[in-house]
Amino acid sequence: MLSIRRISTSRWWHKKKNWILFAIFLFLVFVRISKGSFYKDFYYFISKPFWPGQFQKEIVLKSIEQEYLIKLNLLKKDNERLRRILSLKESSNGDHISAAVISRKAGSWWRQLILNKGSKDGVEIGNIVIGPGGLLGRVNSTSIFTSSVTLITSPESKLGVWVDRPQINGLLVGLGDDFPNLILYSKNTDIKVGDFISSSPASTLLPPNIPIGIVQSIDETLKSKKTAKISLLAKPHVIDWVQILKVNIK
Amino acid sequence: MNKFFTKKLSIISFFFIPIIFLWHPNWLGLLGVQPYWPLFWLLPWSMIHGSFNGLIVGLFLGLILDSLTLDHNFTQIPGLIFCGFLFGRIKFHKENLVGHFRYGLICSFGSFLCGTLYFLQILFRNFLDSNSLMFISGVKNILAEVFLTGFFAPFICSQLLRIFKFSRRKLHK
Repeated sequence: MLSIRRISTSRWWHKKKNWILFAIFLFLVFVRISKGSFYKDFYYFISKPFWPGQFQKEIVLKSIEQEYLIKLNLLKKDNERLRRILSLKESSNGDHISAAVISRKAGSWWRQLILNKGSKDGVEIGNIVIGPGGLLGRVNSTSIFTSSVTLITSPESKLGVWVDRPQINGLLVGLGDDFPNLILYSKNTDIKVGDFISSSPASTLLPPNIPIGIVQSIDETLKSKKTAKISLLAKPHVIDWVQILKVNIK
Repeated sequence: MNKFFTKKLSIISFFFIPIIFLWHPNWLGLLGVQPYWPLFWLLPWSMIHGSFNGLIVGLFLGLILDSLTLDHNFTQIPGLIFCGFLFGRIKFHKENLVGHFRYGLICSFGSFLCGTLYFLQILFRNFLDSNSLMFISGVKNILAEVFLTGFFAPFICSQLLRIFKFSRRKLHK
Protein backbone atom coordinates (compact mmCIF):
# COMPACT_ATOMS: atom_id res chain seq x y z
CA MET A 1 0.00 0.00 0.00
CA LEU A 2 2.77 2.33 1.02
CA SER A 3 4.82 1.70 -2.12
CA ILE A 4 1.84 2.62 -4.38
CA ARG A 5 1.40 5.94 -2.63
CA ARG A 6 5.04 6.76 -3.16
CA ILE A 7 4.74 6.25 -6.93
CA SER A 8 1.73 8.58 -7.16
CA THR A 9 3.62 11.48 -5.48
CA SER A 10 6.45 11.41 -8.00
CA ARG A 11 4.38 12.24 -11.18
CA TRP A 12 5.95 14.84 -13.54
CA TRP A 13 3.41 17.58 -13.02
CA HIS A 14 4.19 17.61 -9.37
CA LYS A 15 7.67 18.95 -10.14
CA LYS A 16 8.14 22.71 -10.23
CA LYS A 17 11.11 22.42 -12.56
CA ASN A 18 8.95 20.86 -15.25
CA TRP A 19 6.47 23.72 -15.10
CA ILE A 20 9.28 26.21 -15.45
CA LEU A 21 10.55 24.37 -18.52
CA PHE A 22 7.01 24.36 -19.93
CA ALA A 23 6.72 28.13 -19.37
CA ILE A 24 10.01 28.71 -21.14
CA PHE A 25 8.80 26.54 -24.00
CA LEU A 26 5.56 28.53 -24.26
CA PHE A 27 7.53 31.78 -24.24
CA LEU A 28 9.76 30.53 -27.06
CA VAL A 29 6.71 29.48 -29.06
CA PHE A 30 5.28 32.98 -28.54
CA VAL A 31 8.58 34.50 -29.69
CA ARG A 32 8.57 32.27 -32.75
CA ILE A 33 4.96 33.11 -33.68
CA SER A 34 5.45 36.86 -33.10
CA LYS A 35 8.60 36.70 -35.26
CA GLY A 36 10.76 38.10 -32.52
CA SER A 37 8.76 41.31 -32.10
CA PHE A 38 9.16 41.11 -28.34
CA TYR A 39 12.95 41.05 -28.70
CA LYS A 40 12.92 43.90 -31.18
CA ASP A 41 10.78 46.08 -28.89
CA PHE A 42 12.98 45.20 -25.95
CA TYR A 43 16.04 46.13 -27.99
CA TYR A 44 14.32 49.45 -28.89
CA PHE A 45 14.16 50.44 -25.21
CA ILE A 46 17.62 49.32 -24.16
CA SER A 47 19.35 50.84 -27.20
CA LYS A 48 17.50 54.18 -26.91
CA PRO A 49 20.26 55.99 -24.97
CA PHE A 50 22.80 55.02 -27.63
CA TRP A 51 20.88 56.20 -30.73
CA PRO A 52 22.60 58.67 -33.14
CA GLY A 53 22.20 61.96 -31.31
CA GLN A 54 22.06 65.66 -32.04
CA PHE A 55 25.73 65.75 -32.95
CA GLN A 56 25.31 63.24 -35.76
CA LYS A 57 22.18 65.08 -36.94
CA GLU A 58 24.20 68.28 -37.29
CA ILE A 59 26.86 66.49 -39.33
CA VAL A 60 24.23 64.99 -41.63
CA LEU A 61 22.44 68.36 -42.06
CA LYS A 62 25.73 70.07 -42.84
CA SER A 63 26.54 67.45 -45.46
CA ILE A 64 23.08 67.86 -47.00
CA GLU A 65 23.52 71.65 -47.04
CA GLN A 66 26.89 71.32 -48.79
CA GLU A 67 25.39 68.89 -51.28
CA TYR A 68 22.57 71.36 -52.04
CA LEU A 69 25.03 74.25 -52.44
CA ILE A 70 27.14 72.26 -54.89
CA LYS A 71 24.02 71.22 -56.80
CA LEU A 72 22.81 74.83 -56.81
CA ASN A 73 26.10 76.09 -58.23
CA LEU A 74 26.07 73.40 -60.91
CA LEU A 75 22.49 74.26 -61.83
CA LYS A 76 23.32 77.98 -61.90
CA LYS A 77 26.19 77.36 -64.29
CA ASP A 78 23.99 75.13 -66.44
CA ASN A 79 21.29 77.79 -66.43
CA GLU A 80 23.72 80.51 -67.50
CA ARG A 81 25.17 78.31 -70.26
CA LEU A 82 21.73 77.41 -71.61
CA ARG A 83 20.57 81.03 -71.42
CA ARG A 84 23.63 82.06 -73.39
CA ILE A 85 22.93 79.38 -76.02
CA LEU A 86 19.27 80.44 -76.31
CA SER A 87 20.22 84.15 -76.26
CA LEU A 88 17.87 84.80 -73.32
CA LYS A 89 18.14 87.70 -70.88
CA GLU A 90 20.70 87.38 -68.11
CA SER A 91 21.81 89.46 -65.21
CA SER A 92 25.38 90.33 -64.43
CA ASN A 93 26.89 87.96 -61.91
CA GLY A 94 28.99 88.56 -58.84
CA ASP A 95 28.05 92.23 -58.66
CA HIS A 96 26.49 92.24 -55.21
CA ILE A 97 26.74 94.99 -52.63
CA SER A 98 25.84 94.13 -49.04
CA ALA A 99 24.03 96.90 -47.19
CA ALA A 100 22.39 97.42 -43.80
CA VAL A 101 18.86 98.78 -43.39
CA ILE A 102 19.10 102.11 -41.53
CA SER A 103 15.47 103.18 -41.88
CA ARG A 104 12.50 100.99 -42.47
CA LYS A 105 8.96 102.04 -43.34
CA ALA A 106 7.32 98.71 -43.99
CA GLY A 107 3.84 99.65 -42.79
CA SER A 108 1.33 102.35 -43.74
CA TRP A 109 1.28 103.88 -47.25
CA TRP A 110 4.98 104.59 -47.52
CA ARG A 111 6.80 101.33 -47.92
CA GLN A 112 10.48 101.91 -48.28
CA LEU A 113 13.89 101.03 -46.91
CA ILE A 114 16.88 103.31 -46.58
CA LEU A 115 20.21 101.49 -46.93
CA ASN A 116 23.66 102.53 -45.75
CA LYS A 117 25.22 102.28 -49.22
CA GLY A 118 24.88 105.07 -51.75
CA SER A 119 26.29 106.38 -55.01
CA LYS A 120 29.75 106.45 -53.39
CA ASP A 121 29.60 102.63 -53.19
CA GLY A 122 28.38 102.26 -56.74
CA VAL A 123 24.65 101.89 -56.09
CA GLU A 124 22.55 103.13 -59.00
CA ILE A 125 18.88 103.88 -59.50
CA GLY A 126 17.11 100.77 -60.75
CA ASN A 127 19.35 98.30 -58.91
CA ILE A 128 17.54 95.31 -57.44
CA VAL A 129 17.44 94.70 -53.69
CA ILE A 130 17.10 91.16 -52.39
CA GLY A 131 17.04 89.79 -48.87
CA PRO A 132 16.86 86.33 -47.32
CA GLY A 133 13.91 84.78 -49.18
CA GLY A 134 13.97 86.77 -52.38
CA LEU A 135 13.08 90.11 -53.94
CA LEU A 136 12.43 93.13 -51.70
CA GLY A 137 12.29 96.04 -54.14
CA ARG A 138 14.18 98.41 -56.43
CA VAL A 139 16.47 101.31 -55.67
CA ASN A 140 14.49 104.45 -56.40
CA SER A 141 16.88 107.18 -55.40
CA THR A 142 20.43 107.48 -54.14
CA SER A 143 22.39 110.02 -52.15
CA ILE A 144 26.15 109.93 -51.57
CA PHE A 145 25.91 107.67 -48.52
CA THR A 146 22.39 106.18 -48.73
CA SER A 147 19.99 104.63 -51.16
CA SER A 148 16.20 104.44 -50.92
CA VAL A 149 14.37 101.30 -51.94
CA THR A 150 10.72 101.13 -52.99
CA LEU A 151 9.37 97.87 -51.60
CA ILE A 152 7.22 95.66 -53.82
CA THR A 153 4.38 96.19 -51.33
CA SER A 154 4.32 99.95 -52.04
CA PRO A 155 1.32 101.30 -54.01
CA GLU A 156 3.88 102.71 -56.47
CA SER A 157 5.32 99.30 -57.34
CA LYS A 158 4.25 97.42 -60.47
CA LEU A 159 6.35 94.50 -61.70
CA GLY A 160 6.13 91.80 -64.32
CA VAL A 161 6.27 88.36 -62.70
CA TRP A 162 6.29 84.73 -63.75
CA VAL A 163 3.97 82.08 -62.30
CA ASP A 164 6.02 78.92 -62.38
CA ARG A 165 3.50 76.04 -62.55
CA PRO A 166 1.10 77.28 -65.26
CA GLN A 167 4.03 79.07 -67.01
CA ILE A 168 2.37 82.46 -67.45
CA ASN A 169 3.28 86.11 -66.98
CA GLY A 170 1.37 88.39 -64.63
CA LEU A 171 1.53 91.86 -63.11
CA LEU A 172 2.39 92.24 -59.41
CA VAL A 173 0.86 95.40 -57.92
CA GLY A 174 1.69 96.71 -54.45
CA LEU A 175 -1.40 97.76 -52.49
CA GLY A 176 0.03 99.43 -49.41
CA ASP A 177 -0.45 96.31 -47.27
CA ASP A 178 1.76 93.25 -46.71
CA PHE A 179 0.25 91.21 -49.52
CA PRO A 180 0.70 92.55 -53.07
CA ASN A 181 -1.82 91.51 -55.70
CA LEU A 182 -1.05 89.43 -58.77
CA ILE A 183 -3.17 90.34 -61.79
CA LEU A 184 -3.56 87.75 -64.55
CA TYR A 185 -5.25 89.15 -67.64
CA SER A 186 -7.01 85.93 -68.52
CA LYS A 187 -9.99 84.50 -66.72
CA ASN A 188 -9.15 80.90 -67.70
CA THR A 189 -5.70 80.82 -66.18
CA ASP A 190 -5.09 77.75 -64.07
CA ILE A 191 -3.60 79.24 -60.93
CA LYS A 192 -3.73 77.57 -57.53
CA VAL A 193 -2.99 78.47 -53.93
CA GLY A 194 0.66 77.60 -53.28
CA ASP A 195 1.92 78.44 -56.79
CA PHE A 196 5.38 79.94 -56.81
CA ILE A 197 6.00 83.45 -58.19
CA SER A 198 9.37 84.65 -59.47
CA SER A 199 10.58 87.58 -61.55
CA SER A 200 9.56 87.30 -65.18
CA PRO A 201 12.04 86.48 -67.94
CA ALA A 202 10.15 89.06 -70.01
CA SER A 203 10.57 91.88 -67.47
CA THR A 204 12.71 94.83 -68.46
CA LEU A 205 13.18 95.91 -64.83
CA LEU A 206 14.31 92.71 -63.13
CA PRO A 207 16.67 89.87 -63.91
CA PRO A 208 14.82 86.56 -64.34
CA ASN A 209 14.24 83.84 -61.72
CA ILE A 210 14.43 85.88 -58.52
CA PRO A 211 12.02 84.28 -56.01
CA ILE A 212 9.22 86.62 -54.95
CA GLY A 213 6.39 84.81 -53.20
CA ILE A 214 3.65 82.22 -53.05
CA VAL A 215 -0.04 82.54 -54.00
CA GLN A 216 -2.01 82.83 -50.78
CA SER A 217 -5.59 83.29 -52.02
CA ILE A 218 -7.33 83.73 -55.35
CA ASP A 219 -10.10 86.18 -56.19
CA GLU A 220 -12.26 85.33 -59.20
CA THR A 221 -14.97 87.95 -58.78
CA LEU A 222 -13.73 90.18 -61.60
CA LYS A 223 -15.12 89.52 -65.05
CA SER A 224 -12.11 89.76 -67.31
CA LYS A 225 -9.19 88.90 -65.07
CA LYS A 226 -8.07 86.86 -62.11
CA THR A 227 -6.31 88.35 -59.11
CA ALA A 228 -4.41 86.63 -56.33
CA LYS A 229 -2.92 87.74 -53.03
CA ILE A 230 0.77 86.93 -52.76
CA SER A 231 2.60 86.09 -49.55
CA LEU A 232 6.15 87.37 -49.92
CA LEU A 233 9.12 85.12 -49.21
CA ALA A 234 11.37 87.97 -48.05
CA LYS A 235 9.93 89.78 -45.02
CA PRO A 236 10.88 93.48 -45.09
CA HIS A 237 9.70 93.99 -41.48
CA VAL A 238 12.52 91.95 -40.03
CA ILE A 239 15.38 91.98 -42.53
CA ASP A 240 18.37 94.03 -41.38
CA TRP A 241 20.88 93.16 -44.10
CA VAL A 242 20.20 93.10 -47.82
CA GLN A 243 22.04 92.59 -51.08
CA ILE A 244 21.98 95.15 -53.84
CA LEU A 245 22.21 93.54 -57.28
CA LYS A 246 23.69 95.64 -60.04
CA VAL A 247 21.30 94.91 -62.90
CA ASN A 248 22.62 94.55 -66.38
CA ILE A 249 19.65 93.27 -68.34
CA LYS A 250 20.65 92.50 -71.88
CA MET B 1 23.71 130.49 -27.44
CA ASN B 2 21.35 129.08 -24.84
CA LYS B 3 19.00 132.00 -25.39
CA PHE B 4 19.02 131.43 -29.11
CA PHE B 5 18.00 127.81 -28.64
CA THR B 6 15.19 128.75 -26.27
CA LYS B 7 13.80 131.33 -28.66
CA LYS B 8 14.04 129.20 -31.77
CA LEU B 9 12.89 125.99 -30.14
CA SER B 10 9.86 125.61 -32.40
CA ILE B 11 11.95 126.06 -35.54
CA ILE B 12 14.65 123.67 -34.33
CA SER B 13 12.07 121.02 -33.44
CA PHE B 14 10.62 121.39 -36.97
CA PHE B 15 13.81 119.88 -38.41
CA PHE B 16 13.45 116.79 -36.21
CA ILE B 17 10.08 115.83 -37.71
CA PRO B 18 11.56 114.18 -40.83
CA ILE B 19 14.00 112.24 -38.66
CA ILE B 20 11.23 110.91 -36.46
CA PHE B 21 9.19 110.19 -39.61
CA LEU B 22 12.08 108.02 -40.90
CA TRP B 23 12.76 106.43 -37.52
CA HIS B 24 9.65 104.20 -37.69
CA PRO B 25 10.26 101.89 -34.71
CA ASN B 26 8.33 98.61 -35.01
CA TRP B 27 7.52 98.40 -31.30
CA LEU B 28 5.57 101.67 -31.45
CA GLY B 29 3.35 100.62 -34.32
CA LEU B 30 0.00 98.94 -34.73
CA LEU B 31 -0.40 96.55 -37.70
CA GLY B 32 2.96 97.91 -38.90
CA VAL B 33 1.53 101.45 -39.01
CA GLN B 34 2.97 104.41 -37.10
CA PRO B 35 1.28 107.52 -35.74
CA TYR B 36 1.29 110.41 -38.20
CA TRP B 37 4.16 112.32 -36.56
CA PRO B 38 3.97 115.71 -38.33
CA LEU B 39 0.53 116.43 -36.85
CA PHE B 40 1.91 116.37 -33.31
CA TRP B 41 4.08 119.36 -34.19
CA LEU B 42 1.64 121.06 -36.56
CA LEU B 43 -1.24 121.25 -34.05
CA PRO B 44 0.48 123.27 -31.29
CA TRP B 45 2.37 125.41 -33.78
CA SER B 46 -0.75 126.35 -35.75
CA MET B 47 -2.76 126.95 -32.56
CA ILE B 48 -0.17 129.54 -31.50
CA HIS B 49 0.60 131.14 -34.85
CA GLY B 50 -2.80 131.08 -36.55
CA SER B 51 -4.38 129.67 -39.72
CA PHE B 52 -2.30 131.38 -42.40
CA ASN B 53 1.02 130.43 -40.80
CA GLY B 54 -0.30 126.95 -40.19
CA LEU B 55 -1.16 126.67 -43.88
CA ILE B 56 2.35 127.75 -44.93
CA VAL B 57 4.06 125.42 -42.46
CA GLY B 58 1.76 122.60 -43.61
CA LEU B 59 3.06 123.20 -47.13
CA PHE B 60 6.69 123.16 -45.95
CA LEU B 61 6.13 119.97 -43.96
CA GLY B 62 4.48 118.35 -46.97
CA LEU B 63 7.39 119.29 -49.21
CA ILE B 64 9.96 117.82 -46.83
CA LEU B 65 8.04 114.62 -46.15
CA ASP B 66 7.29 114.10 -49.85
CA SER B 67 10.98 114.32 -50.56
CA LEU B 68 11.64 111.59 -48.00
CA THR B 69 9.03 109.20 -49.34
CA LEU B 70 9.53 107.70 -52.75
CA ASP B 71 5.97 107.97 -54.04
CA HIS B 72 6.28 110.37 -56.95
CA ASN B 73 2.61 110.13 -57.88
CA PHE B 74 1.10 110.84 -54.49
CA THR B 75 1.62 113.75 -52.12
CA GLN B 76 0.98 114.56 -48.46
CA ILE B 77 0.82 118.31 -49.11
CA PRO B 78 -2.99 118.76 -49.45
CA GLY B 79 -3.70 116.98 -46.17
CA LEU B 80 -1.05 118.89 -44.23
CA ILE B 81 -2.07 122.28 -45.69
CA PHE B 82 -5.68 121.63 -44.77
CA CYS B 83 -4.72 120.47 -41.27
CA GLY B 84 -2.43 123.49 -40.78
CA PHE B 85 -5.26 125.85 -41.71
CA LEU B 86 -7.82 124.00 -39.60
CA PHE B 87 -5.62 123.72 -36.51
CA GLY B 88 -4.95 127.48 -36.67
CA ARG B 89 -8.64 128.17 -36.07
CA ILE B 90 -8.76 126.16 -32.84
CA LYS B 91 -8.88 128.15 -29.63
CA PHE B 92 -7.17 127.20 -26.38
CA HIS B 93 -9.31 125.51 -23.79
CA LYS B 94 -9.29 126.82 -20.24
CA GLU B 95 -9.67 123.44 -18.59
CA ASN B 96 -6.40 121.57 -18.86
CA LEU B 97 -7.72 118.01 -18.71
CA VAL B 98 -10.34 118.58 -21.44
CA GLY B 99 -7.61 120.27 -23.49
CA HIS B 100 -5.41 117.18 -23.39
CA PHE B 101 -8.15 114.91 -24.67
CA ARG B 102 -9.20 117.50 -27.22
CA TYR B 103 -5.70 117.29 -28.78
CA GLY B 104 -6.21 113.54 -29.19
CA LEU B 105 -9.51 114.02 -30.98
CA ILE B 106 -8.24 116.84 -33.18
CA CYS B 107 -5.11 114.91 -34.22
CA SER B 108 -7.20 111.81 -34.92
CA PHE B 109 -9.42 113.86 -37.19
CA GLY B 110 -6.36 115.43 -38.88
CA SER B 111 -4.79 112.01 -39.40
CA PHE B 112 -8.06 110.71 -40.85
CA LEU B 113 -8.16 113.68 -43.21
CA CYS B 114 -4.55 113.26 -44.38
CA GLY B 115 -4.91 109.48 -44.73
CA THR B 116 -8.14 109.77 -46.68
CA LEU B 117 -6.72 112.40 -49.05
CA TYR B 118 -3.69 110.18 -49.69
CA PHE B 119 -5.88 107.12 -50.18
CA LEU B 120 -8.12 109.00 -52.63
CA GLN B 121 -5.04 109.90 -54.69
CA ILE B 122 -4.10 106.20 -54.89
CA LEU B 123 -7.66 105.26 -55.87
CA PHE B 124 -7.82 108.00 -58.49
CA ARG B 125 -4.45 106.99 -59.95
CA ASN B 126 -5.56 103.39 -60.34
CA PHE B 127 -9.11 104.24 -61.38
CA LEU B 128 -8.27 104.14 -65.08
CA ASP B 129 -6.66 100.67 -64.78
CA SER B 130 -9.86 99.54 -63.02
CA ASN B 131 -7.66 98.20 -60.23
CA SER B 132 -8.88 100.67 -57.66
CA LEU B 133 -11.06 98.17 -55.76
CA MET B 134 -8.00 96.13 -54.87
CA PHE B 135 -6.71 98.99 -52.76
CA ILE B 136 -9.67 98.93 -50.35
CA SER B 137 -7.65 96.80 -47.94
CA GLY B 138 -5.47 99.89 -47.38
CA VAL B 139 -8.30 101.42 -45.29
CA LYS B 140 -6.83 99.56 -42.31
CA ASN B 141 -3.74 101.79 -42.65
CA ILE B 142 -5.92 104.87 -42.13
CA LEU B 143 -7.75 103.37 -39.16
CA ALA B 144 -4.56 102.21 -37.41
CA GLU B 145 -2.95 105.61 -38.02
CA VAL B 146 -6.01 107.47 -36.69
CA PHE B 147 -6.03 105.38 -33.51
CA LEU B 148 -2.31 105.74 -32.83
CA THR B 149 -2.21 109.46 -33.59
CA GLY B 150 -5.17 110.06 -31.28
CA PHE B 151 -3.57 107.93 -28.59
CA PHE B 152 -0.22 109.72 -28.51
CA ALA B 153 -1.42 113.26 -29.23
CA PRO B 154 -2.51 114.23 -25.67
CA PHE B 155 0.99 113.41 -24.34
CA ILE B 156 3.08 114.94 -27.09
CA CYS B 157 0.96 117.93 -28.19
CA SER B 158 0.45 119.32 -24.69
CA GLN B 159 4.19 119.14 -24.00
CA LEU B 160 5.07 120.77 -27.31
CA LEU B 161 2.44 123.46 -26.76
CA ARG B 162 3.97 124.25 -23.38
CA ILE B 163 7.46 124.47 -24.92
CA PHE B 164 6.31 126.66 -27.85
CA LYS B 165 4.43 129.02 -25.52
CA PHE B 166 7.48 129.32 -23.32
CA SER B 167 9.73 129.97 -26.29
CA ARG B 168 7.29 132.60 -27.67
CA ARG B 169 7.16 134.39 -24.33
CA LYS B 170 10.95 134.59 -24.34
CA LEU B 171 10.85 135.94 -27.87
CA HIS B 172 8.53 138.83 -26.92
CA LYS B 173 10.60 139.78 -23.86
